Amino acid sequence: MRLMKTPKSIDIEITNRCNLRCRYCSHFSSPGDVDRDLPKEEWFRFFEELNRCAVMSVTLSGGEPFFREDLFEIIDGIVRNRMRFSILTNGTLITEDVARFLASTGRCDSVQVSIDGSIPTTHDSFRGEGNFRKAVEGIKHLQGHGVPVTVRVTIHRQNVMELEDIARFLLEEMGLPGFSTNSASYMGLCRKNAEQVQLTPEERSVAMETLLRLNRKYNGRISAAAGPLAEGRRWLMMERARREGKREIPGGGYLTGCGGVMTKIAVRADGVMVPCGQMAHIELGRINRDSLLDVWQGHPELNRIRQRRMVPLSSFDFCRGCEYINYCTGNCPALAYTIIGDEFHPSPDACLRAFLQKGGRLPDERILEA
Amino acid sequence: MSDDLKPIANPTVVLREEFDDWAILFDPDTGNAFGLNPTSVFIWKLLDGRHTIRDIINEVQKNFEEVPDDVEVHVNEFINDLIERGYAGYEWKQEG
Repeated sequence: MRLMKTPKSIDIEITNRCNLRCRYCSHFSSPGDVDRDLPKEEWFRFFEELNRCAVMSVTLSGGEPFFREDLFEIIDGIVRNRMRFSILTNGTLITEDVARFLASTGRCDSVQVSIDGSIPTTHDSFRGEGNFRKAVEGIKHLQGHGVPVTVRVTIHRQNVMELEDIARFLLEEMGLPGFSTNSASYMGLCRKNAEQVQLTPEERSVAMETLLRLNRKYNGRISAAAGPLAEGRRWLMMERARREGKREIPGGGYLTGCGGVMTKIAVRADGVMVPCGQMAHIELGRINRDSLLDVWQGHPELNRIRQRRMVPLSSFDFCRGCEYINYCTGNCPALAYTIIGDEFHPSPDACLRAFLQKGGRLPDERILEA
Repeated sequence: MSDDLKPIANPTVVLREEFDDWAILFDPDTGNAFGLNPTSVFIWKLLDGRHTIRDIINEVQKNFEEVPDDVEVHVNEFINDLIERGYAGYEWKQEG
């Protein structure tokens, strides 16, 4: 993957404040988790720099972006500076007026709302009472105004047996074109609640099998960049490669697990630039003090993260003797950091060998056939 | 089309240049983008409302090697394509 001259998109944590405290939120534990928002004028100045750098889009996340009272003005600043935007939200603060405003900009690529259940009990179990109803109402407001809306389902111990109902609810009842999935990862608040939240190998096996089956049933309308669905696909491919004695599969054998740093960069709510919102400990500079272009093209730490993909898995004791070594990508560097404190290491959470040793099982690979 | 016309780029459209001198034009209002080769990037930068099409053709001939004989056709086609997409236009002078 080639490095772009300037980042194509920017992930901005526009606030750290949030009206919810979901038990697996990836926030509230990093150095950037301050409780004071950067003034909107700071963001306006930064957007002007993004305009000069020809950045195409901004993803606003938080905290909860709609918790910021001046979010409309901030979005106007994005639009003024020739960019499009997406928003990641819990959906509970999206009113008719919010949806109308977003539609009026003509620049909204998507609003991603978190929905974790097909009924209030499941969703609210980790997100707080009453929030399922509010999030569903938020989605309906967005749909009513023609704002592109997507849903992210975070899979955890309370909803893993409900995936079939969740898919039916979102795709049939709510009429969404699709939804994406992940599982609660060992980050932020999830680290404190891992026992209650994170899937066991048995539950992970169930999630993989169910999601692959449902995705087939719903003609590919369920997506995933990480979590059980993505793992199911990748691990079945790795298992087949092992069985057939393939030398390697593309991207395998090295720490190629994430290419995000080649196309985008992130900014914490306190204005500190970081390689990714999940790697908030790697501080690259501050907006409006350090040049984005200088950071993007020349920051040694960012370049070091980009060079991660040259590191062979064979250099790790962790991978020694693994039959999957030439097919594995080492997966998410941020997760490697939160689990063992080193982003230049394969993520133990994504290790197929470890998963199988702990009693996990792969689905029948015929599930992938059309 | 008259070679005296002075095309001007739509200021909303973003030119994203890459290290290899290729670029993309991005329309934030539609989300559409399309790729430009280095010659097209050169022409885009001359769509400033001051250069006529004839000027632009002359600049291309001056700055590039092996320019084809029918360069005028190519330049006009490219600019027409941009105009059809809404990425460029001509300055409009109000009468009176």
